[in-house]
Amino acid sequence: MKINDLALKLGVAAVALVVPSAKVSGWLGDAEARYKENRAAMAANPSDVPVAAMAEDQYCTPQLKAIVRRVAGACGLLGGGGEGGRGCQPMQAASVASLSGEDFNALFLPLSQRAHIIQFDPLVTELDPAAQTQLEKAWADQRGASFFFVVARASSDGDTKKNEELSAKRAESVLKHLENKFHDPDLKKEVGLLWLGESFAQLGTEFCGWQRSRSGSAEPCTDKEINRTAFVAWIDCAI
Amino acid sequence: MANLDDYDLSPDSAPPSGADATDEMDTLRRSPGLVRIPLALVLAAALFGAWFSATSTADFVQHLDREVHKIHCSFNPGAAVEATLESPCRTAMLSPYSSWLRQDYWGGIPVSLFAIAVFAFLAYRAGHLLVRGRALRSEAVFLFAATLLPVGMSALYYWLAVTKVGAICKVCQGMYGSSAAAAVFALGAVFLSQGSDGKGIGRFLLGIVEGTAFVGVLTLVYLAAMPEADPKAGGANGCGTLANPADEAGIMIPIAPQPGGVPTIEVLDPLCPSCKAFDTRLSSSELHTRLDMKAVLFPLDSTCNWMVSTSMHPGACAVAEAMLCAGGNVTGKGSPAEAVRVLDWAFAHQDELLTQAKTDEPGVRKRLEAEFPAVKGCLGGAQVKNKIVKSLRWAVSNALSVLTPQVFVNGTRMCDEDTDLGLEYTLSRMLAGAAGGKK
Repeated sequence: MKINDLALKLGVAAVALVVPSAKVSGWLGDAEARYKENRAAMAANPSDVPVAAMAEDQYCTPQLKAIVRRVAGACGLLGGGGEGGRGCQPMQAASVASLSGEDFNALFLPLSQRAHIIQFDPLVTELDPAAQTQLEKAWADQRGASFFFVVARASSDGDTKKNEELSAKRAESVLKHLENKFHDPDLKKEVGLLWLGESFAQLGTEFCGWQRSRSGSAEPCTDKEINRTAFVAWIDCAI
Repeated sequence: MANLDDYDLSPDSAPPSGADATDEMDTLRRSPGLVRIPLALVLAAALFGAWFSATSTADFVQHLDREVHKIHCSFNPGAAVEATLESPCRTAMLSPYSSWLRQDYWGGIPVSLFAIAVFAFLAYRAGHLLVRGRALRSEAVFLFAATLLPVGMSALYYWLAVTKVGAICKVCQGMYGSSAAAAVFALGAVFLSQGSDGKGIGRFLLGIVEGTAFVGVLTLVYLAAMPEADPKAGGANGCGTLANPADEAGIMIPIAPQPGGVPTIEVLDPLCPSCKAFDTRLSSSELHTRLDMKAVLFPLDSTCNWMVSTSMHPGACAVAEAMLCAGGNVTGKGSPAEAVRVLDWAFAHQDELLTQAKTDEPGVRKRLEAEFPAVKGCLGGAQVKNKIVKSLRWAVSNALSVLTPQVFVNGTRMCDEDTDLGLEYTLSRMLAGAAGGKK
């Protein structure tokens, strides 16, 4: 091999080696520059990916949240509630809500698609199969809600004291069924019971059009039927 | 410029004086200038191969900025990047076979870099002989032998693409084709080469040294210039920790239990393409055997997930329910292995399930019941829906980002940018950290 050929060979080899080396080095340099820019940008502007959070629906006005918090707190619902500390009696609810019965019910009007009305026969406090199904459906549809309100009532038939007891037992039936069915460790922290008897915030027949456990039945829906109920709903507010 | 006098082509280079050189074809074959044709073709094939491998390397290297970029995926060397992010070329690029030493360097050293070196070497050898205008037999034989390296690697990588990766990228096929073409043309050069200087073996060994030097130089250039990771951010330090890792609601599914493995939680959506891709990458990494993996389901489907306003992955709630039902998380009947079967099936049919669920979510539920009869009576029920809520609330209690997949190794979240090319590099360090923590 003579010098001329060696020079030729080295020249071609140099071109073949330098060109790809320069290109690769350039790509890596660009990548490093972008990497450093990205790091600086990330430090200046943390991720805009949303963080998982409980639901906060449009109806969660400051007023509603304040009332729900007040009612829940005063009725022993917040913080898991202790033995015997769970639930609000009618006069308690009325006083802590500082609302008329009508205004109290109006709070729940935005929940027309979310709430379920569990119906009972007269003087009965146990859930029938349709009521159980409706209740389970309601509970399973928690989504991002924080509180499950159970507002039990009784119709105005009979003794006021007796009706208060009926509504309390209806609320307890709802809670027991949820406990037995779901064994949910969070249940104690999420369920709030209010029993209103016949004394406060009786429902009007406009609620007959809501999701009731006897929606499809031949039973009429009068002031009496709509109040022999437990009104259950998840509240989609971060309380 | 070299001339023929520079070369000692005797004794076997000159036509034998007494030979019956009457065959016209034989005369033509022995004509020294003809070898330029196959040499030019080898050079062209090598340049095409270098172009394809450079394209692949450039696509790979741009991801060292830890971002996601569109890449090339065409038989046409000058084609633009793909319009979409997903392509067989991306699948191949993210597979563990696309680079070497992944546990030592973030992303590893791309195999296509070695391909550039080899094609550049072939181009140099062919180019040199082409300019010179003649090739000794030993030089042509070496050139042919050198082309067998990319041919062999092409065969190996084609086999890996078909059997392991499940995707054949067009840019890779460009390299395979260039390799084969270079070999065929180099063989032609062997037939048209002539002469010997008796230094064939020495030249062969020198050629191997030269070829190794090409690979070595490019590798050193790569290692010297690759971006250095910021030691303060990401990597083994992770991107956050779990505040409440406990599974009080019984929503986690052991998807890859490994006694003694490092506790690892993957937040996943069974119909999320990124989750499927991550699963594939992790499964093909040897490191997955060191993880004791559980899944927390986080379907990005608004039918059950209040945190997304639209269904990014329609049908994901149904599949997630089926996993919980099959896994025994709802009624106690079932097993994690059954849940993994549902997950594997969902990954395998992901595209069609997503398409179907856009218009017929109940149809997806029927398919799930038909495929996994054990979930009948559980799927769509109140209890499993409650479990889905609990699963989502686990994410809330840990203030997770609304995205999938997310991987927590021993409670530390692997940064998103480290879940693809940097997976092995980062995971090996996180595992080392976890082992240190145990001690």
